[in-house]
Amino acid sequence: MKRALELGDRRLLICLGPGGVGKTTLSAALALNAAIGGRAVDVMTVDPAPRLLDALGLTAGDSTIQTVALTGLGAARGARLRALKLDPKATFDLLIERHAPSVSARDAILANRIYRNLSSALAGVADYMAMEQLLELHRDTSTGLVVLDTPPAREALDFLDAPRRMLELLGSRAVTLLSAGRSVLRGGFSMLDLAARAVLTAFDRLTGLHLLGDVQAFVGSFDGMYAGFADRAAQAQALIRDERTLVVLVTTAEAERVDQAIEFIEALTKLGLKLGAVAVNRMMAPLPDEAAIGRADLPAALKRKLKRNLDDFAALERREAAALKRLRASIPAGTRLIAAPDLGREPRTLKDLAELARSLYVADS
Amino acid sequence: MTLPRLIFVTGKGGTGKSTVSAALATALATRRPTTLADLDGRQAAIRLIGVEASAAGAAWKDSHGENSTQNDHALDVVTITPHGELETFIERIVPLRAVSRRMLQSRTFGYVTAALPGLEAFLMLERMRQIAGHAALKDRFAVIDAPATGHALELLAVAKGIRKLAPTGTLNRLSSAVEEFLIDRNRFGVMLTVTPEELALREALEAAGELRDRLGIECIGAVLNCVPPALYTAAEIARLRPLEAHARLADRRHELAEFARHARRELERAEIAVAELPILYAATLAAREVEALSRRLATEMFTP
Repeated sequence: MKRALELGDRRLLICLGPGGVGKTTLSAALALNAAIGGRAVDVMTVDPAPRLLDALGLTAGDSTIQTVALTGLGAARGARLRALKLDPKATFDLLIERHAPSVSARDAILANRIYRNLSSALAGVADYMAMEQLLELHRDTSTGLVVLDTPPAREALDFLDAPRRMLELLGSRAVTLLSAGRSVLRGGFSMLDLAARAVLTAFDRLTGLHLLGDVQAFVGSFDGMYAGFADRAAQAQALIRDERTLVVLVTTAEAERVDQAIEFIEALTKLGLKLGAVAVNRMMAPLPDEAAIGRADLPAALKRKLKRNLDDFAALERREAAALKRLRASIPAGTRLIAAPDLGREPRTLKDLAELARSLYVADS
Repeated sequence: MTLPRLIFVTGKGGTGKSTVSAALATALATRRPTTLADLDGRQAAIRLIGVEASAAGAAWKDSHGENSTQNDHALDVVTITPHGELETFIERIVPLRAVSRRMLQSRTFGYVTAALPGLEAFLMLERMRQIAGHAALKDRFAVIDAPATGHALELLAVAKGIRKLAPTGTLNRLSSAVEEFLIDRNRFGVMLTVTPEELALREALEAAGELRDRLGIECIGAVLNCVPPALYTAAEIARLRPLEAHARLADRRHELAEFARHARRELERAEIAVAELPILYAATLAAREVEALSRRLATEMFTP
């Protein structure tokens, strides 16, 4: 039987989607399946549930890469699976250490008030760091395929857009404005820039944040590193658009999640990104035949219960079908719709994950 | 259940936050005028009660509800967005409207706000404080359809962070006020949504612990959502074995019902009051279904 998701010679698989749809689980399942098929696979998870951590041999506090034992799963020769849990703060620190022109520059950044908050609180840093980690993994030539689970996005494109936003902050014009001397201000800056400068200064003083000095120092300390960051961001953007990258949008067939999935599709299209597949997780299994109830040798009361249960589930199936119909209408031509049936429980073991991946089916029509 | 003026509804993704928020607001509106608000501009809860999305599209301009939309006499809806709140805040600091408008339009400002960690999130908390204050004054309720647990906890923790960042000035005063608001049981409380699933239960229990221990915030209760009405006895389930597919369907329902009982026990053991909502075996989920859920919720919450 042809596999629902043909990976071919893809080197990167990115799973995107709204929160609470089983993105992490499905990423792990797809990675495991590819590994069993004989490829060297790395999977990066963002926020795995404890049981999935266990299954992958990871521990909550540890963000080092771990090799997953594939014994007893019938893995082909050359099979390898490594799993990694993303730690945005540690990744960012590492990045600073690598790119900082000097020890003192490095220490200045790590101690900066903005950096300390930025690396944990600012939305988008986790996304950006996931992208960084991805470049790292992808660079390793012993790895055939990298599977990336992304942080649950507030906005559809938070993740894919993260490198650009980070660059904007670092190349911030506002900061240039504030640190510019009078002579510079005479030329090259518009009236609006000057107004902005005045307002920002007032804003800082009035709010009592006194942060702009720190922002300046922070961005200033990136001076020798900007090129390195810009280069990494460009690499990340190129990698996302590479022919051997497959973007999979994960959702469920619940109405609200389908709405969000459709927003994702629109945003991706706007960004000119090709969507490889849409995967609908936790689809209801086909309902059994009603006639079987009539034939069964059971008391009438119990048969009535069976009939009622069947009717109840049929109503849910209709709701699911309606949501799926809306989703289908929004999928661009050439993008495959695949589905994973609801296994009725959270996957607890590697066997469960492998079963989930094998149960994927094509749901185009 | 003594209710705070503002109820913040959160839970794991997919546990029905928007549906529960809509049902809760509808239930409260039968007793006092109630405001239903969301924080992401998606208006999922608002659409569920059948209000036109466009009518509620604008951000709330002031605590008197200049831009809020009247659904009927008892229930109005608002959308709180980060950008809208930032706009209001800047207009307050920079009273010259022409200048503040231009500020907001310039990309320059966007960069710097990106560097002020948590400012927008904080301003949303401040807006909630104002809504709760208004509700106390006018004897109303407010329901917030909040983000999923992880984001919600980050959001609620922001006030503490801001107070540390801003040692003096406007923001420092505001952040102290917001912190007091969040731990005031008369004005603020968190309602968790849970479905009969292991991960959803675990996330709810962890969130309740974090709220209490780390933030001093009270969890007023949990809505155990999507509970299937029990249909089979264990003996009947055993008898159905030979029917295979039908037996699996019966099993599914039975297991969910059993897990719901387990979840209720666990939540109650953690001293969280539980209100139960049934799974709706209906082909659509719209205003009529929300109405039915709200009646059920009212019975669960208001019957002694």
